[in-house]
Amino acid sequence: MEIREEIMEILQELRSDVDFEREQALIDDSVLDSFDIVSLVGELNDHFDIEINVEELLPENFNSVEAMVRLIQKIQEEE
Amino acid sequence: MGLVSFEFAALLTVLLLVYYLLPVRHRWRVLLVGSYLFYLANSAGMTVFLLVTTVTTFCAGRRLGRINEETRNYLAASQGKGARKEYKQSQQRRKRRVVLAAVLCNIGLLVALKYTGFLFESANALLQAIGIGGRLPDIGWLLPLGISFYTLQAVGYVIDIYRGKYEPDQNLAQYMLFVSFFPQMIQGPISRHDQLAHQLYEGHVFDYRRVTTGAQLVLWGLIKKFVLAERLAVVANGVFDNYLNYAGLSMLIGAAVYGVQVYADFSGGMDLVGGIAQLFGIEITENFARPYFARSLEEFWRRWHITLGAWMRDYVFYPVSLSKTFARLGKRTKTYFGAQTGKRIPTFLAMFLTFLLVGVWHGAEWKYVAYGIWNASIISSSILLQPVYGRLADACHIKRESPLWRLICMVRTFCLVSLGRFFARGTSLHAALVMLKSAFTVWNPEVLTNGTFLFPIGLLLQDWLVILFMVLLLLAVGLWQERGICLREVIAGQRLPVRWAVYVAGVLLLVLFGMYGPDYEAASFVYQQF
Repeated sequence: MEIREEIMEILQELRSDVDFEREQALIDDSVLDSFDIVSLVGELNDHFDIEINVEELLPENFNSVEAMVRLIQKIQEEE
Repeated sequence: MGLVSFEFAALLTVLLLVYYLLPVRHRWRVLLVGSYLFYLANSAGMTVFLLVTTVTTFCAGRRLGRINEETRNYLAASQGKGARKEYKQSQQRRKRRVVLAAVLCNIGLLVALKYTGFLFESANALLQAIGIGGRLPDIGWLLPLGISFYTLQAVGYVIDIYRGKYEPDQNLAQYMLFVSFFPQMIQGPISRHDQLAHQLYEGHVFDYRRVTTGAQLVLWGLIKKFVLAERLAVVANGVFDNYLNYAGLSMLIGAAVYGVQVYADFSGGMDLVGGIAQLFGIEITENFARPYFARSLEEFWRRWHITLGAWMRDYVFYPVSLSKTFARLGKRTKTYFGAQTGKRIPTFLAMFLTFLLVGVWHGAEWKYVAYGIWNASIISSSILLQPVYGRLADACHIKRESPLWRLICMVRTFCLVSLGRFFARGTSLHAALVMLKSAFTVWNPEVLTNGTFLFPIGLLLQDWLVILFMVLLLLAVGLWQERGICLREVIAGQRLPVRWAVYVAGVLLLVLFGMYGPDYEAASFVYQQF
């Protein structure tokens, strides 16, 4: 399965009320709150066996599914 | 010299004149001199603490910046993946030592000055309770002005450099200005370096539109403070400072009134700060976003004292809840409590810690500990019960986006916030508990109609009418702002006579209905004490 699809699955389970395909400002528009972010990071870490550091908790890394894909690819390359 | 004094008005006038007369590249120096003059006038003997924080965080920032640069250079030149990883880890350890030293030094200073008395007092009570002799000395140190605000601002700067968010300041004098910028020294906001510093250093040309909108904001802040907050303070102080004379509904009214008072006071103070900064062409971070329109307590805390909440989120909640210790804890709790509940337990623990810190940030008293626990308990229980609320709403065919349901949620949030106010404003934890007990065990609605509450407290009928007018005005302004309408831009777009009619009305409102004057001593801003 593609990274994007896997992230979409995690996101849908986390917040089924949000249209993640269309949202481009999940953090800037406060669609996801800090509790969602912590849960999401935990799920992404477990699922992709990576470690997202607190310094990577920037709006530009979590505003959209595409941004999350880029972040995970970057961490996977570095690890 | 408070923000509302003739001395401050004189200082501000001189600073504005010199600021706009000097060449643009020197204008930051005026702000620096003004900031230190303001600090010396208010807290001269304590300036050394401000300087210690400034110098230690500046040096730590420079050191971290150098390590970041070394790391970047090495990684750019090196090819081996293993060597790169090892080097990064070793650099990370060096950075951690620097950031830890800076944080411990400055938070330690804050704790020593603000909380030693409280810790000694609590230790004495404990020693007495378990029958051990000996007594720690009573300590009542004076606090340096703004220490709770500038310490967090400076520590946030160091952590941001550690995280590689931006480059460190290279000019100590400019950094001194960032830590001490005078409008925000009394009650914040807690600014971020990447949002504020460049505005302070670059200097601004005179912009008539920006200066007039700044002046409007100052006027609006003064109206909130002197027309509304000072009147409500008479009621809130009357109830909270003499709580044994009141009971039942009077307690609830007192808490609700205090909620509006502290909002008018603090947000009015923020308007004043933001307006003064705008006079120099500087935009300060928003600290309020109409908190009483929040539909949950969690949303309330995203709208109230935003810069403190964001600081606690970024530098306490996230690092703690995403730490390896909490990740391990999460794995264990999932085993014991199941996947859904188990994964939430570490997050809730991190939230309790965060709100505990938010509580004690307000002051070294047990009531603030209770205030933090109250907020964390309500938020965690509402998250846990969210599925239940959802099912209930569906069963009752309630549309969650309907205006009526939104209003109900707002009122419910206001009630929850008001109950928390008993801890925040009560004279002690004991007083808060006595008031809460009375509020829910004594039923006395007659206080509203027989005049035993409304008038003996010190306000006349016309005062209550002014309060009503101001609350409706705040509500209307809030509703416009919620719809994305900027009232100041609407006013600025009107013809000259209309604009001036609004300004004159504002000034008249302040002059005629403000509570001030030679026989009246206006209270300090509530958040000044923190």
